[in-house]
Amino acid sequence: MKQDKKKKLLTRLLLGNAGSGRLIAALAALCIGTTLLLLSVMIWWNFTELLEGKHDNDSLGSTFLTVSKTVTNENMGRPQLTLFNYTEIDALRNAPQVQDVGVLTSNRFPVFATLNSTIGFSTEMFLEAVPDAFMDKKPQDWHWEPGNPQVPLIVSSEFLSLYNYGFALSQGLPQLSQQSIQSLAFDLKVGGANHSETYTGHVVGFSDRISSVLVPEDFIKYGNERYAPGVNTAPSRLIVKVKDPSANEFVKYLQDRNYTTNTEQLRWNKLRAVVQAVTAATGLLALLLMGIGTLVFILFVELTIARAQRSLTLLLELGYGPHFISMFMLRRFLPLVFGTVILSAGLAVIAQMWAAGWAGSLNLALAAVPGWPVWAAAGLSIVLLFAFVSRAIIVAIKRH
Amino acid sequence: MRLSLEQVVPIPLRDKINAYNSWVWNQKVTFNEGEHIFIQAPSGTGKTTLVHMLYGLRRDYTGMIHWSAYKMSDIDREQLSQIRASYISVIFQDMRLFPELTAYENLEIKRSLTNVVQEHEAIKMLERLGLKDKLNARAATLSYGEQQRVAIVRALLQPFSWLLMDEPFSHLDNANIQKAVALIKEVVEMNRAGIIMADLEDNNYFTYSRKLLL
Repeated sequence: MKQDKKKKLLTRLLLGNAGSGRLIAALAALCIGTTLLLLSVMIWWNFTELLEGKHDNDSLGSTFLTVSKTVTNENMGRPQLTLFNYTEIDALRNAPQVQDVGVLTSNRFPVFATLNSTIGFSTEMFLEAVPDAFMDKKPQDWHWEPGNPQVPLIVSSEFLSLYNYGFALSQGLPQLSQQSIQSLAFDLKVGGANHSETYTGHVVGFSDRISSVLVPEDFIKYGNERYAPGVNTAPSRLIVKVKDPSANEFVKYLQDRNYTTNTEQLRWNKLRAVVQAVTAATGLLALLLMGIGTLVFILFVELTIARAQRSLTLLLELGYGPHFISMFMLRRFLPLVFGTVILSAGLAVIAQMWAAGWAGSLNLALAAVPGWPVWAAAGLSIVLLFAFVSRAIIVAIKRH
Repeated sequence: MRLSLEQVVPIPLRDKINAYNSWVWNQKVTFNEGEHIFIQAPSGTGKTTLVHMLYGLRRDYTGMIHWSAYKMSDIDREQLSQIRASYISVIFQDMRLFPELTAYENLEIKRSLTNVVQEHEAIKMLERLGLKDKLNARAATLSYGEQQRVAIVRALLQPFSWLLMDEPFSHLDNANIQKAVALIKEVVEMNRAGIIMADLEDNNYFTYSRKLLL
């Protein structure tokens, strides 16, 4: 007799009473549990990616705060008192919740920008530079070296909003899109009346994280050394990467030192804590559901074996080994488990693609495929399910 | 494969056995390879119990049963299944067929375990016992006599050193008994196997080397 014929007979004897309805229900329970688990991991991971500002998510750089000293009646008119010294920067680096501190270096020389004569727009302006690690959107060509007539700039998207909805409307100037601004080149005159240089400025991006006009650090350094030698270049603003800015000890630290920051960011981070709690709760619920799904499937396997008890006993009496029968059952059930997890992973991929598209419509960047924790969860699910189902089968057959 | 029994007493029959003098229970008995043993036993003296203990289905006894080096009380389940598949075959008194399978499928499930007998040979054996037209009939629809003949053929579809038979012809008429005996003799001879036949009444179906009272 061919092997498949033997398998068919064994299938009839051992699985003939399983019931396709019950099998489908058990697999559905398992699939729902696994899918929910993978989705919850996916949601958690996506939030983590967004909240930690990965993938250039410029709208959710919520862990980055710009910190400056509050201008009070006492220090008003004494700019040196609003600057940070190295001791203060080091202290802030070791403050509660703080993960990293970056210095916003500003220009100490005059800067005058002129848009071409058609629009006839010109303004004095300030520039700042920040270490690359603190930027939410860093273009690939974000660098400058002495002698380069082109200077890339990143402008705060808030400034563009102010211009479009405030200044432009009130002054009868044209409103500008991000693309149109990026296509414009303007003259950037740096230095005083006696000694100046003119560069061509290009806006290469917009920042949601830093309210400033940013240029590469090398440009600020060059300008300060050339046009403002000997001037105190201590920073007036710091950019701080914070684990949880809403933490009381961090807020108290800022208050005690009279530092000021964007309180909206603090509020957002409270919301973030809520989101994380909800995600964690969803994860726990999903874990519970997967546990129930696994339990339902294992009960189905045990019920199937129990219903085939007479056949199983007789097969053992005829000389079929428990190992052979266990392996036969495992070969029937484990592919189903594997297929179910693969189906769940497929659903997670579809969900991630949808989430990436949806996030894209909100100007947020999410990967089109689930992150590694989702695959790790799927892999772990397969391993655990294989272990539980195998154990259930081996134990059930050993009972005979 | 040598079979030895040392002071074997089934626990449920312990009190009963002490009341009479058995030639097997609570004795030291050895059966050599190829021997043909007849065990006569009145009803209720443990005939089926003995066959089941020799086949490893029961372990509720005192004493020791050895199949060569294998001690039946200590043998693990995998070893037991190997012994059942390749060394000891059995014809159960209660047939023990799969009722949902056909006569042919009942044979195939056993034959395919070792594949030493060809499919056509198995069918031929069934034909010799007059079951040609019952090949595709479900076991549940067969008469006891037909079921018993299927069970006899099934027991012959594996290699074996010993064939255990527990009232193997209890549902057969004389003509069918002769056919079954002839077939069994042929296969036993081919396997150079021993037989242990347990029955109620004395008989000479086979050439027994020993007849024992249980």
